[in-house]
Amino acid sequence: MKIHSILISLVIVLSPFIVGVALFSVRASGRIPVKAHLSGDAATQSESLTHEELELNWSFYPGWEYKPLLTHAEEYLVFVFHYMNHSDYPVYLMPTYTLTSPPNRRYAANEEIAMYIEDAVENQLKLKDETPVNFEVPAHGTRHYIVTFEKPRPLSKFDVYVDVFRDVTWCLRYEKQNGTWVNWTNTVVRKYKGRG
Amino acid sequence: MFKKIVKHFGPEWGAAVMGTAAISITMQLSSEVARPFSALLYVGLGFYLLAIVMFLTFLVPWTLRFFWYPEEIKENLQHPVRANFFPTMPISLILAGTGTNKLGPMLFGPWLAYHLSIAFFFLGAIGIFTFGLILVRMQFLSITLRPHHANFTWFIPPVSHLIIPVLGACCMDVYWAESALAPFLFMISMIALGAGFINFLFVGALVWQRYIHHAIPEGRLAPTSMVGIAPTAIVVIFIIKFIQAVEASHGNLFGISFMSVFPVLKITASVLWGFSFWWLIVVAVLFVHYITIKDHPLSFGWWGYTFPLEAVTVSTGLLAKCVATQLLHPLLIGLNALVVIVWIVVVFATVKWLVSGAFFEAEH
Repeated sequence: MKIHSILISLVIVLSPFIVGVALFSVRASGRIPVKAHLSGDAATQSESLTHEELELNWSFYPGWEYKPLLTHAEEYLVFVFHYMNHSDYPVYLMPTYTLTSPPNRRYAANEEIAMYIEDAVENQLKLKDETPVNFEVPAHGTRHYIVTFEKPRPLSKFDVYVDVFRDVTWCLRYEKQNGTWVNWTNTVVRKYKGRG
Repeated sequence: MFKKIVKHFGPEWGAAVMGTAAISITMQLSSEVARPFSALLYVGLGFYLLAIVMFLTFLVPWTLRFFWYPEEIKENLQHPVRANFFPTMPISLILAGTGTNKLGPMLFGPWLAYHLSIAFFFLGAIGIFTFGLILVRMQFLSITLRPHHANFTWFIPPVSHLIIPVLGACCMDVYWAESALAPFLFMISMIALGAGFINFLFVGALVWQRYIHHAIPEGRLAPTSMVGIAPTAIVVIFIIKFIQAVEASHGNLFGISFMSVFPVLKITASVLWGFSFWWLIVVAVLFVHYITIKDHPLSFGWWGYTFPLEAVTVSTGLLAKCVATQLLHPLLIGLNALVVIVWIVVVFATVKWLVSGAFFEAEH
């Protein structure tokens, strides 16, 4: 193989790695920041939700900022859910997450943004996020899952549905009071089961 | 010189874009396995950008050839091997859309990424359906095609249809869920899935029959045996993305409750992945055979080794989100490393092949 052929080949095969490492270094250096604004809600949250020996607790970041490489930063609503299994046996979960807000907005969680920010969230909270959609919570163990929602505007009130069970859904209700997000109530909602 | 390049710029160049674009997804999935692999997400972005550059570069001569050299196009369309590569360029559009859906938000935020993905979806789907119908017409009306012409490139048109619902499901996940576009995405995806899967079964039987009752293809076509991995691997990818799209629609899609069939879908995906993995071993056996008889010449067709291997890697990564995570995650990392090695070898081989002047030979 001639030298210029080798050089052309090297340029092609190395380019994605050089671009990738350069972008990773820029991001890691903090020049394109992923900012976390810790909210008081996580600390003042009054109660957790429990259903059939599975307890749900969570941390909420109402203004997590993520800046794409080429455009301006945008804010996201970030939840870190903590699943605690109080039974003597492992349980297998496949939760789904939905955000609803007036008037008639219903969003599913954005897994791409969650993927980009999970390292920063894990660092901040000193925990490990579960990657699989399905995961096992061992007997008397805890597992964590990072969930990101795009922030609808304007937003003064929203509910987050955490769907884990066949028959019921956990609902977390938030409202902005005096400029602060308040988790004013949490409920267990029975599901409508049609015949499909 | 440019006119000469356009004249010889065969339909198969989309395979190089496919083989590069899909690595962006294998990298993204590998980056999720553990913290030390996080940088792979950005390497995936590098592959995505390279694939976009390749796509735009190749699209110019590929398109001009239709207008400047229609006779060559007509001749290629009659060819039992080359004709099947025409859908590779629309497949590249679908892969570019998938890459944009997954990695685009890192570059320009979710809104633009999801809108670009939808544009790629419709353009790619139009191209794939069009070439699919042209090819099936050519095959049905051909009086020269014989059973011993069947080969694994015949899987490319079914694969092209199977890949449409992958992007369809990616688009229905999150942003376009419950939008006015969702029913269109769903129905186009279902039509493509039906056409692709049933065609795969029919064509698979023909190729299987040829491999058993006739001589296997010459070494130049050895890489095409890898294409056999792709259909089932892509269906696995679709199933897992579809599960995520259904979740984004709260378990119900157009009044159909899918939650209760999730376990069946997961088992089906595992079975289909099993076939792809088994076929990977069959390819290794055939590869050893061709090497042993010293009939594995350098050709552009080596790109045939890349995309199917990447498809099985992506299917491994996605299946790991639902079943046997501890087993499949290390396999994903291993396959991703193999994908990179194969891609590097093929890039070097392609440059060597180009420098040798083989590009300007009538039959390459």
